[in-house]
Amino acid sequence: MDTSTTKAAREDPPAHLTLIVDLNPLQWELSSQASNDTPLSLSQFLAQLMIFINAHLAARDDNTLAVIGALPGYSVMLYSTDDSPPDDEAPARHQANSFQPFRMVDGRIASRIQEEMEKSTDLDGKTDRGLVGAITKALCHINRVNLLSVALTNNPESTSAMAPPSSQSPRMLILSISPDASTSYIPLMNSIFAAQKLKVKIDVCKIFGSDTVFLQQAAYLTGGSYLVLERRDALLQYLSMCFLPPASLRKVLATPSQDKVDFRAACFCHKKVVDIGCVCSVCLSIFCYPITRTSCSTCGTRFPLQTLKRLGYIRQPAAQANGRSKPNGTANGK
Amino acid sequence: MPAPAAEALPGQHILLSFLATQSQISLTRLYSKPSACLALFRLLNALERQIIMNYLWLEGPVSSNTMDVWVTRDGRAPYEAAMRTLASLQVLPSPKPGSNMLQLSPSFKKNFRLALTGGGDHMSFGVPCEKDLAGGVNVEMLDRYAANCWESILHFMVSSGTDGRASRPTKGILYLLDRSGLMAGQGAPKITSEGFQFLLTSPHAQLWTLLLQYLSITNERNIDMVEVIQFLFMLSTMQLGQEYSTEVFTNTYHSVLEDLIDYGLVYKRNPNRIYPTRLATTLTSGSSATTSSSAVSSQAQTGASLSGNSTVATAGGGFIILETNYRLYAYTENPLQIAIINLFVSLRGRFSNLVTGSITRESVRKALDNGITADQIISYLVTHAHPQMHKNNPLIPITVQDQIRLWEQEKNRVQIAEGYLWKEFTASTDYNLVLEHARSTSSVVWENEQARMFFVTPEGHASCRDFVNQRMREGGGFA
Repeated sequence: MDTSTTKAAREDPPAHLTLIVDLNPLQWELSSQASNDTPLSLSQFLAQLMIFINAHLAARDDNTLAVIGALPGYSVMLYSTDDSPPDDEAPARHQANSFQPFRMVDGRIASRIQEEMEKSTDLDGKTDRGLVGAITKALCHINRVNLLSVALTNNPESTSAMAPPSSQSPRMLILSISPDASTSYIPLMNSIFAAQKLKVKIDVCKIFGSDTVFLQQAAYLTGGSYLVLERRDALLQYLSMCFLPPASLRKVLATPSQDKVDFRAACFCHKKVVDIGCVCSVCLSIFCYPITRTSCSTCGTRFPLQTLKRLGYIRQPAAQANGRSKPNGTANGK
Repeated sequence: MPAPAAEALPGQHILLSFLATQSQISLTRLYSKPSACLALFRLLNALERQIIMNYLWLEGPVSSNTMDVWVTRDGRAPYEAAMRTLASLQVLPSPKPGSNMLQLSPSFKKNFRLALTGGGDHMSFGVPCEKDLAGGVNVEMLDRYAANCWESILHFMVSSGTDGRASRPTKGILYLLDRSGLMAGQGAPKITSEGFQFLLTSPHAQLWTLLLQYLSITNERNIDMVEVIQFLFMLSTMQLGQEYSTEVFTNTYHSVLEDLIDYGLVYKRNPNRIYPTRLATTLTSGSSATTSSSAVSSQAQTGASLSGNSTVATAGGGFIILETNYRLYAYTENPLQIAIINLFVSLRGRFSNLVTGSITRESVRKALDNGITADQIISYLVTHAHPQMHKNNPLIPITVQDQIRLWEQEKNRVQIAEGYLWKEFTASTDYNLVLEHARSTSSVVWENEQARMFFVTPEGHASCRDFVNQRMREGGGFA
């Protein structure tokens, strides 16, 4: 029997979960329309999300949580475990029927979301989602949580040999509802690399809409799961089976993995998602079509006209060809 | 380890093995309170919790094959162990013969769902009272109170009532200590070897050991055990520093409450109102590591300043420095801690905040004679090591660790066995013949070819004597 898996099932470090909730009002409106097979409105979604959050907090009382909302044009921290708890105002008899930490967390998240949604009604013009901002905020927060726990247990093999090197095993779960925004390709890829370095798994649950290429890559590259909800009425079951187990448990209970990942990239010039494009051989920038410039817009390397001509990007032969820059190749995405 | 803990599977909470022996009816009644379901859920390990979550929101039974496909090949063994635990607790009963459909116990499912979603009218999480700021009751004060109560029990045990400073616990506690075999003797109880081992375990384990004893005597006292567990679980889901009303409590709760006040789990200032202490609220928050100590450290994390003299703080943080030359420095003035260290250290000097001594062969032998094992001594030293010690790798000097283990082996070197020594064989053939017979009955304890001697157990001796007599009668040439 493999001892590492037995150990994984026994030892049980506190888990940190960062939830990124896509709160794009337009998409939620589309999602709740009755013309869908299974309409899911924001309030129904939030009710199930709260139970998922409770389940995460129920597992251990030192499990931590951060919730970040991604709204059109900006992102905002909705809740973090290190917030000071607000006053509990529910009537006493009412309070006795629910676990106090659950009630406080849920109440706070619900009121913050309502606040933000009311604010964001006049932001129709902005199409850019705050998703990248939310991921970046999440990474910064996870980094801080990590540093804090390292400072607390400044010795790797602290009180017992069983203690894991890092007491936290941070994860991020993105509940996505909007389509890809190709403008955010570069910052998103940078966040993915940062997450890889921090050893943060990014899970993605696509609740509504078509596949998003970039989030698929985010899950694949960080070792998380990417899941498109097939039955939206079973959201809670999906959440608790696929996204509740911490990393150590995923060695015992499998979580869905992706059989095929769409590795397409967005070009740097027009932010179009491309299958085949041109790649600068010096800085690896991706362009869909280099006709507008004879040199790379990112690093300034001049492209050899011979190659551009051979690839059919330039029709008339240019008078003076410069041979200093390196030949330019085509590549299949990234 | 005291008796109940010995049955526990490695890594499993001792309460779970106790619950597994209970009848299905009692367990179903236990699960009728949402707070009990939540507290039980927290005592399970991560895999068992996840399995419950997988089944929780399913309405109908599911074929076990459906769930089995989620298990990885390496995870088969832990998964099956987890399923056995859940079946023994009647949370996820094993399927009836001939069927493989599984579902959570209806009562557990209903009430655990209620615990997660909130709502209903069960009032199992305690009815909070309005804040009473005038009383001067705060978290620090509750910690001090709980530590005082608990340490006075331990101090009484370690001093066996001979130390005048250790106040005598109430009759109920004395009876419990006697029943659990931690102390023995009427009138003037003496600590037993189990009691010494008990002292070196973590406060969380100590508390549960006593509470399990408490549960096992509920029948004699005509108290409903299920209600007692429900009450303990209810306390464990209450919030520290919040006052709760006792008006909705049942009679059982009220009678148990009086005992729990003695143990320091509950603080009562006003009639009909109680404060749970940290001992109570951390009852189900994880395994041994999560006790008052880690709770204090998490408080330090949030920046709350802690007074250095707080007994809980000293009990939690490490205070022992051990050098390679066997000298030990303990930064403490807590009489309980000094008494415990005194179990295996010969103390030399005492200063205002420091006790010095050294680990010697005699001091360790004394501890071993009391029934304490070398591993327990070492694990105590590890868990209470001063932060300065954490710079060392390994934490406890290897020389000292090895020497303590060697001293233990030294004690085990002499084995006592009752039996008979056979010697003075004149010929080696005779010796071999009889030895051969003794071996065939596998009763030889020791043998020496050169000296022609061997040692047999009493049963083997009779058989050998018969064998020799028979040979003699047959004229088999024994000298």
